[in-house]
Amino acid sequence: VSTAPVEVEQPETSQEARLDAPWITIVWNDPVNLMSYVTYVFQKVFGYPKAKAQKLMLDVHHKGKAVVSSGAREAMERDAEALHGYGLWATVSHDS
Amino acid sequence: MSGIGPGGFPADDDDRSGPDEPFGAQEPDGLGEDDPGDDSEELAATFHPIPGGAACYFAPAQAGVIRSLVGQVAELVRGDSAPGDSAFGDNSPGDSGPGGSGMGGAMGGWPAAGGPGGPGGAGGPADAAGGGLAGPGAAGQGGPGSGEPTPGTPSPDELERMLGLSGNVELPDDPVLARLLPDAYSDDAEASAEFRRYTEESLRASKINSARAVLASLPAGGGEVVLSESECQQWLRALNDVRLALGVRLGITDENEDLMSSASVDDPRSAYLWVYQWLAYLQDSLIESLS
Repeated sequence: VSTAPVEVEQPETSQEARLDAPWITIVWNDPVNLMSYVTYVFQKVFGYPKAKAQKLMLDVHHKGKAVVSSGAREAMERDAEALHGYGLWATVSHDS
Repeated sequence: MSGIGPGGFPADDDDRSGPDEPFGAQEPDGLGEDDPGDDSEELAATFHPIPGGAACYFAPAQAGVIRSLVGQVAELVRGDSAPGDSAFGDNSPGDSGPGGSGMGGAMGGWPAAGGPGGPGGAGGPADAAGGGLAGPGAAGQGGPGSGEPTPGTPSPDELERMLGLSGNVELPDDPVLARLLPDAYSDDAEASAEFRRYTEESLRASKINSARAVLASLPAGGGEVVLSESECQQWLRALNDVRLALGVRLGITDENEDLMSSASVDDPRSAYLWVYQWLAYLQDSLIESLS
């Protein structure tokens, strides 16, 4: 399992806003969750189009984890909470 | 992550004959791949889309297995519940004992404690499923707050509960609970504790709600289940929680995802592995139905 940093599509925010919001939500691979389910949850929780949700799912699957959202810490904790609600294994980190 | 490959369970068909055949009628060695002509079509019930939701026909024994497992996970998540209280204790096939929860301490720690008399026993998977998921400390616990709610002034514990503060700050000891209620920070115990303090209670409540929705829409005797889209959401979450719990108890890892095909029929886990796999197809069919 690779722990190499995962490329993230940064949302279109100004450099200034990103400095204020250097937190990320990470979803970790696990052997139980179905690929179709993880894709579905990414669409549901983040409103991502299916193609993007699928790409993130495959990142999780192949690389062991993927950054699924970035922003303010509180927002990342809400994302993690929502993902836990669906049974995904999500954590919040400081994007340093 | 797990994928649904070809060549697994056959798709559900319209053959509804023999719904009264018990799920557990076969010995585990009858579930093997060398017996393709059996009633596996019926056993592998899957959802199909309908306008505004999804539907699936469940044989009585299939309904019994799902109700039992969903109820057990809910009991485990609820933690301090009184046995036999509420919907989870009643009407569940496989229940044993006057408390009705069917999660007796004798089965705690399954499958290690299951032994040869486990799923291979006379009752087969349906009966076996009645006993399996309770972790350490889940059975017979009569801690504060259990039993009938008493009218009057709420205790400090109850107040904290009402405010959604669980007070729990540590990752649960039980590996199933630890998976269902995970830490939110991988490298910051203090932040994890704080997050848990403010979110764990609502996470538990949401999982219990999903379980209730399944139990409310799935008759104990089986039958056609017709779900609205929001009910489908609840089912998805509850089925996933059950699969996560089974995955932990069965020791599913990335390396042994295909444990099912490699496990010996003498393996006490084989019947549960079969249920685990079926639930994957059932969940996948529900996702398909929503797409």
